[in-house]
Amino acid sequence: MDNLKKLIRENKELEAQLNSRRHFLKECTLGLGGIALGSLLNSCNFDPRKAYDYNSARALNPMAPLAPPLSPKVKSVIYLHMVGAPSQLELFDYKPELAKLHNKPCPESLIEGKEFAFIEGVPNMLGPQATFQKSGDSGNWVSNHLPHFKNVVDKVSFLKAVHTDQFNHGPAQLLMFTGSARFGRPSLGSWITYGLGSENNNLPGFVVLTSGGTPDAGKSLWGNGFLPSIYQGVHCRSKGDPVLYLKDPKGVSRDLKRKVIQSINEINYKEYQKFKDPEILTRISQYEMAYRMQVSVPEVMNINDEPDYIQEMYGVQPGKESFANNCLLARKMVEKGVRFVQLYDWGWDSHGASESEALSKGFLNKCRDMDRPVAALLLDLKQRGLLEETLVVWGGEFGRTPMWENRAGIQNSLIGRDHQGEAFTMWMAGGGVKKGYVHGATDEIGFRGIEGRVSVHDIQATILHLLGFDHEQFTFDFQGRPFRLTDVEGRVIHEILT
Amino acid sequence: MSKKRIQFNTLVHILIGLLIFPGCQRSEPVDFNTQIKPIINEKCISCHGGVKKNAGFSFLFEKEALRNTSEGTPAIIPGNAKKSRMIQRLHETDLELRMPYEKPALSKEEIDLFTRWIDQGAQWGTHWAYISPKKSALPEVSSKFTDLEFLQTPIDYFIAARMEDSKLQPNVQASQKTLARRVAFDITGLPPRRDLFDSFVNKEITYENYLDSLLSESSFGEKWASWWLDLARYSDTKGYEADRGRTIWQYRDWVIKSLNEDLRFDQFTIEQLAGDLLPNPSYDQLLATAFHRNTMNNDEGGTSDEEYRTEAVIDRVNTTFDVFQSTTMSCVQCHDHPYDPIQQKEYYQLLSFFNNTRDEDLMDESPNLRSYSEENKQNMESVLAWILKYGDSKTHDFYHDFFQFLEPKYQAHNTVSLNSDNAYVSGVTLSLRNNGQAVYKNMNANGNENLMFKYSPTKHKTVLIFRKNSPKGEIIGSIQLNEKGNPQFNNPKNQYAKLKIKKIEEPFDLYIQAKNPSLKTKNKSSSNAIIASLHWFSFVPELPGKNQKGFAKIENALNTLLNNPENLTPIMVENKDFMKRKTHLFDRGSSLSKKEEVTAGVPNTLNPWKEEWEKNRLGLAKWLVSEENPLTSRTIVNRIWYQIFGKGLVLTLEDLGTQSEPPTHPALLDWLATDFITSKQWSLKAFIKMVLLSATYKQSSVIEKTKFAIDPQNLYYSRGPKLRLSAEEIRDQALYVSNLLSEKKYGPGVMPPQPEGIWEHAYLGNLWKESKGEDRYRRGIYTYLKRTSPYPSLISFDAGSREICLIRRSPSNTPLQALVTLNDPVFLEAAFQLASSQIEEPVDKAIQNMYRKALYKDIDPEALNLLETLFNEAYQDFDQTSEKLQNFFNQESVIDKKLASLAIIANAIMNLDEFLTHG
Repeated sequence: MDNLKKLIRENKELEAQLNSRRHFLKECTLGLGGIALGSLLNSCNFDPRKAYDYNSARALNPMAPLAPPLSPKVKSVIYLHMVGAPSQLELFDYKPELAKLHNKPCPESLIEGKEFAFIEGVPNMLGPQATFQKSGDSGNWVSNHLPHFKNVVDKVSFLKAVHTDQFNHGPAQLLMFTGSARFGRPSLGSWITYGLGSENNNLPGFVVLTSGGTPDAGKSLWGNGFLPSIYQGVHCRSKGDPVLYLKDPKGVSRDLKRKVIQSINEINYKEYQKFKDPEILTRISQYEMAYRMQVSVPEVMNINDEPDYIQEMYGVQPGKESFANNCLLARKMVEKGVRFVQLYDWGWDSHGASESEALSKGFLNKCRDMDRPVAALLLDLKQRGLLEETLVVWGGEFGRTPMWENRAGIQNSLIGRDHQGEAFTMWMAGGGVKKGYVHGATDEIGFRGIEGRVSVHDIQATILHLLGFDHEQFTFDFQGRPFRLTDVEGRVIHEILT
Repeated sequence: MSKKRIQFNTLVHILIGLLIFPGCQRSEPVDFNTQIKPIINEKCISCHGGVKKNAGFSFLFEKEALRNTSEGTPAIIPGNAKKSRMIQRLHETDLELRMPYEKPALSKEEIDLFTRWIDQGAQWGTHWAYISPKKSALPEVSSKFTDLEFLQTPIDYFIAARMEDSKLQPNVQASQKTLARRVAFDITGLPPRRDLFDSFVNKEITYENYLDSLLSESSFGEKWASWWLDLARYSDTKGYEADRGRTIWQYRDWVIKSLNEDLRFDQFTIEQLAGDLLPNPSYDQLLATAFHRNTMNNDEGGTSDEEYRTEAVIDRVNTTFDVFQSTTMSCVQCHDHPYDPIQQKEYYQLLSFFNNTRDEDLMDESPNLRSYSEENKQNMESVLAWILKYGDSKTHDFYHDFFQFLEPKYQAHNTVSLNSDNAYVSGVTLSLRNNGQAVYKNMNANGNENLMFKYSPTKHKTVLIFRKNSPKGEIIGSIQLNEKGNPQFNNPKNQYAKLKIKKIEEPFDLYIQAKNPSLKTKNKSSSNAIIASLHWFSFVPELPGKNQKGFAKIENALNTLLNNPENLTPIMVENKDFMKRKTHLFDRGSSLSKKEEVTAGVPNTLNPWKEEWEKNRLGLAKWLVSEENPLTSRTIVNRIWYQIFGKGLVLTLEDLGTQSEPPTHPALLDWLATDFITSKQWSLKAFIKMVLLSATYKQSSVIEKTKFAIDPQNLYYSRGPKLRLSAEEIRDQALYVSNLLSEKKYGPGVMPPQPEGIWEHAYLGNLWKESKGEDRYRRGIYTYLKRTSPYPSLISFDAGSREICLIRRSPSNTPLQALVTLNDPVFLEAAFQLASSQIEEPVDKAIQNMYRKALYKDIDPEALNLLETLFNEAYQDFDQTSEKLQNFFNQESVIDKKLASLAIIANAIMNLDEFLTHG
């Protein structure tokens, strides 16, 4: 234990030397000190600091939890993204007028000068492929494809007139998650973990869960851009190791691994005594964190321990990669203090060019697989008192046209809609968000927003606001200028806030 | 940060002031750059700059600042501060009027500076970064540094002088062994070869000999190529949604070879930016232009090719300025530069240089440089010789280019359908149903009477009819296609057809119609059938010597050539004059709203254009590497300095401009920048060698308390660098010390083992096909890089995904890295191999040997003790449960307890801080 004491003293000296506002987590670093592995899983209690000089606050522990500059409404975010862009016209945006136009040629005025991904020439209109009911006390419209969601409709605020200027998947997803349609910017989750750190030092602060496949724009959607790479999202997988290389090699027991890490850290500590390089202390703590993650990540990723009624409520399929599993995992993670959980569910690109992407086939399966777990997630968070400190966001990267797609000028044989950036539906639920509320509306056919239009940057500004950030002040200096998530745009959507 | 900058600037100013006006007292001239501009940038420019020009007033350019504001008078009246509205507004008591608006008032000192500056005539200054560097004399330093043997290169004089100012002393030189390992990584990215290492530490060769040997190894190019390929955004896929593969690895190999050959950096620059425009460019010079074909390509269905072509051109402007000028041009896309004196119009003038290449965001990435088999190279020679013999040089030159990159041609995606039911463009092709018709506007046959086109062979005996200028215009030619391709080509795989057309001198519109009378129109499926898919059109000259003996053979050779390129690499090819695009300014950066036309030009702030330069990319490249350019050589020396010391002499590596940090050693930066051109003759190797020879570099990296207190960031270099190894180095080192690393060079990217399911694409079936044999153990530089899913262990150690130009990798220290080196099968195999090599030795000896092999030094007794204990613990662990040795470390056979325990030790050694850093 001599080393331990030495380490404490060293650290204190170092801190004094630096004479800065560095937030050096003494207790925690002891736990991480390479020697006191007994304190396994003993999370530290942090004093949230009100220091916003991130660079200095972060010098020794880049994931130290920080309080945001303004008073926050929520502590964590679960973002449910339906990759491919679900049709708002079959889920939430009820358009009876569109039914009357079904299979009639689209008026020229609607498409003149417009660019579409696939529509060529003059397509026909496509009436709603769902029936709608007024649901809950709020009486908000929900389609028959979402029977479970009707039970939680009173918990959410709809944004019915979201718009984006991108109509291809990759760029639109980038815009949604990095604030720019081009590569190179940090993702939403990176900004948030950079700003707030993590409440759990045994788990990554920003976790990504995917089902159905990887989203189109790939890892850049959870990349760190120009922020330090520790803030990039960690993709936890349902098959194989939940985190890459998490599993010990064949033949190495936990006990032996502990001893290996202990030896590495002891030798590294000697190295530190010789070189006095603070990076070595960071490395020591990261090796301990790695060791703890090896236990805590599989633990949090294991849904088998959940009671049957919970598993049933979500409709999980243990051992498989499913959106339902991911919803349950998301709850488990925010419960454990993970800051940002991002879900991507692939397969919502309902063009009608094949069965899997037809509104009459594949889309219905996607609805069924999404409906129940999403409702369960909201109810589960609620019953645990977590919904008030969590923000749940649901959406796609854009919406879909009221026209029946006619790829190459010929109406698709199956029912489907093309990409549409002008108007689509998203919703938010949780702390600080109005319940059973609708903001914004589209025209009679759901083609354009006519009131309460909100942009992608507005969504981002609102998420940051709920977490306690002014999106215009929350910046990072790069290439000689301050950058922010919302670029030069964005307005907090106060209409949906309590 | 900014306060520090001002203080520092003030200091510099005083120094400059003393230099220029040795007799002057304090209260004398105010310097714009060091005293005024920093205040403007911090307090004023966000409302009165390049983006916002509130009240019609902007500080960005002298002209703007002195002209009438919306009040109708100028805000600054040189020579009269009292009457200047700007000064009056600083003094206002009414908060609505006082500047800065809604922000704290300026300090007395700041207002005083502004006042004196205006009274003195409001002289504008040029920022240091925009004045060409000058080589100053070496500074005088106290004899103390001579005594310490610190003054070994010119660099050390500048470093010593700065240290002296801060009352710092250098560290002693690092130990021979540490230095030998450190410098080997800095030159080759690998630990040193054992024999070379031994001869250096045994003093058989000098340090300089040691450096020369390392610099001559081909691993030099492989190490430094990583740095350049980050800047060049090189990858093996196209990016965006589908992120399909791309074959551009020949460019990667070109970079490695050029670095090894020490191609002068000015030439290196010219060939990459404009190799195609050099007179009679060689294959390699054309290949070099792939630099700017590393831009992403969007294959996603329904994307506008023109939109993404424009994106690529924009990226080329931005990357050129990021790479060679440390200037963030992307700011200027939408508005005047917010801080630096560059106008929006100038951005589009630069864009104009890049706006005339043939690439159009096509799926096939054309134009592609075609390489040929030896046999086809012979074919090419004989066809070209034939043409010279029987034809003219114009025809020869046409085919010479055509064989290399198939240009000029008109891409079918630019055609417009006349009847959307029967003709449409999708991806690269124009697809026609029966009677479908489309038009390609504004073509130029350039006097050629043959129309060649590429098409997908079709089952139907379709007739294509080509008309001039209107849907029912004059027929200039027609041809029947069949599934075996055009009979002229006599090759079932042939995709090219050629027909004779009427001579057309003037630009015209080409109407293309497909007909197939045999198809019944009533049958729905046959009326929906695509009967012709066309890719491109090209007007080619007649192959001469038609009546000569041997013509058939030549024609056949030509067809073989066209159909059988060995490899295709996307390159830059300039538009012919008759194909030139015009460049317009984009309103607020949006390519959809074009404003006035602009012509090629360079920013006024930088070095002037010389008449003798071609007004194209070649001229631009020459402008960049001309000695007058103030930024190119500063940029390159600063970036290399960063690679070696982990920070630049200007800390903001991305930006040398008014927002950058001032250099920590301004005179050294300029000395190096000048020396690089004049005495090093743009040689990267010579420059790198000089840095590595310096006493500054050779210092030990131990951090001393007292010095740490004065200079925690080591800005004054009173200790040597200790950097974490790069992603590639960490992998390569593990393979190298365990004798697994393959020395094979070049070729397509390889796919070493990675966990399953990393690479899955939602609908494209392209899979990670694990490489076999030695390709599993190649250096990291050869690992296939997929932009949307890069190799996981490289990413963990901060390698980039190369979507855009990456100027620096920011080194991180994360638990995910620990998991890689502890558990990744690649590292386990390396550990196992290292252990296997020592199985015959007694345990203590084996541990000592493994440590020495990995770290090039002897293990100290305490560490040995710890590892011996760990060995015993592991041994006991395996003793108790020997079934653990089944598949241990993924080994197929059951292995011995001792070997397993040694492998555990090897794994631990490969996770030590000293192993992961370069000492």
